[in-house]
Amino acid sequence: MNSIGLIREFLQNRLGTAPERVVPEAVLAGLGVDSLLMLELVFEFEDRFGVKLPGDLTSPRTVGEMASLMDNLISQR
Amino acid sequence: MVQRRVAITGLGLVSPYGGDLADFFARLCAGESAIRHLQTDDRPRPLSMPFVGCPGFDPDAALGRPLAAMMDRFAQLGTAAAFAAWDDAGLPRAGDGRDAWGVSWGTALGGTLAYEKGYRELWQQGRERISPLSVVLGMNNAANSHISIQLGLGGVSMSHTVACASSAIAIGEAFRRVRSGEATVMLTGGSDVPQAYGVARAWEALRVLAPGDEQSSAQACRPFAADRRGLVLGEGGAALVLEDWDHAVARGARIHGEIAGYGTSCDHSHLVRPEAAGQVRALRLALADAGLDTADIDYVNAHGTATAEGDPVEIAALKQLFGDGAVQLPVSATKSMHGHLLGAAGAIEAIATVLALREATIPPTAHLTDDNLDLGCRGVDHVLTARRDVPLRAALSNSFAFGGSNAVLAFRAVPR
Repeated sequence: MNSIGLIREFLQNRLGTAPERVVPEAVLAGLGVDSLLMLELVFEFEDRFGVKLPGDLTSPRTVGEMASLMDNLISQR
Repeated sequence: MVQRRVAITGLGLVSPYGGDLADFFARLCAGESAIRHLQTDDRPRPLSMPFVGCPGFDPDAALGRPLAAMMDRFAQLGTAAAFAAWDDAGLPRAGDGRDAWGVSWGTALGGTLAYEKGYRELWQQGRERISPLSVVLGMNNAANSHISIQLGLGGVSMSHTVACASSAIAIGEAFRRVRSGEATVMLTGGSDVPQAYGVARAWEALRVLAPGDEQSSAQACRPFAADRRGLVLGEGGAALVLEDWDHAVARGARIHGEIAGYGTSCDHSHLVRPEAAGQVRALRLALADAGLDTADIDYVNAHGTATAEGDPVEIAALKQLFGDGAVQLPVSATKSMHGHLLGAAGAIEAIATVLALREATIPPTAHLTDDNLDLGCRGVDHVLTARRDVPLRAALSNSFAFGGSNAVLAFRAVPR
């Protein structure tokens, strides 16, 4: 699964968000991702792909920013 | 200071029988036990004990998926009960002018189950880390916080942890705030989930849990019976809406009953050996607080856990307080049917007591007969089968906790 697929799956499972709403330009906060849910999403991602996000990470604003951050980490693995 | 009358305008619970409030009370009055045999798949030693669960409870259906996923089971049960009580009170989920309305919740264990899940992952599954939600799932004030957020209540939001008296004390403290005028409405009650593996094992080790298998579990909890073997743990959530009387009348709310008094004390003698003197003090305080006399009390919902030590002490306390009147004092222990919900016990029993007053019907102590009544528990009028059409004026609900903390709530019927 790719990064955006994981975000889609996570949001559908947790918030019932329709996958077609989870597009790169969608604002995470607008989809209902608050700070707690962001922590969980990051946790899930780290678990799934066996990577670790840096502790001083600036929270991504959009789905696209989140996905590219994840993709970068996966490619550096 | 002017004291306000306090109306009970909402009752709600997650019933171990799976039905609604009316169904819950009907089954209690029928003497029907909700106790079943619990068998887990824990390795290497599963839990195998009589237990009261809420297997029909669907958190996603009751709360919605996003909210349910942010909660441990104790908060799910609590919030579902709170929603039920709120709806019963005829109050909309969202509303303005609630900045002084609050929540006072009882839980003995809080989110123990959430922490235990973390231990299992770290120690059993060999994982290196646990969910970032663990803290907010596990904190003892999770239930009351969620309830305040969901109902938009801007006043105090607090949890009380006083073992088996947790929710009786939560209700009493809520009652005081409405009576003093600090809060117009308080949502109160309790929830607990004692099937956490370590918790259930700890209770077993205390040797106070009644044994039972598939066949015998339903009859495992026998308060006041000579052959009683101990208490039966249960999970659940129960909630009440307490409201300023004038406010309730003004909005045309249905008033189930009046909460009139609250008394607390500590035995200050021993952690687990209850003492009649301390219980009598709590009983006296509750009566005085309510402006009631022993002669006004037509029913006592006993703490009655069915332990060897506890039951006779409670009866001794009632005899001491009620004197010659004790033999005519109707007493029953509904724990014989709904089990011991620990931090939710006081709340589910408060609901049973209020319904008894409202319906003029006293639920019995199940599995108790004239033949098996313990000699040491005699001297009050034990209710062996439901008594219907008995006009009740006022009633007490006892909660006597480990630690020696005692709480008694006094209720009055609303004449209709």
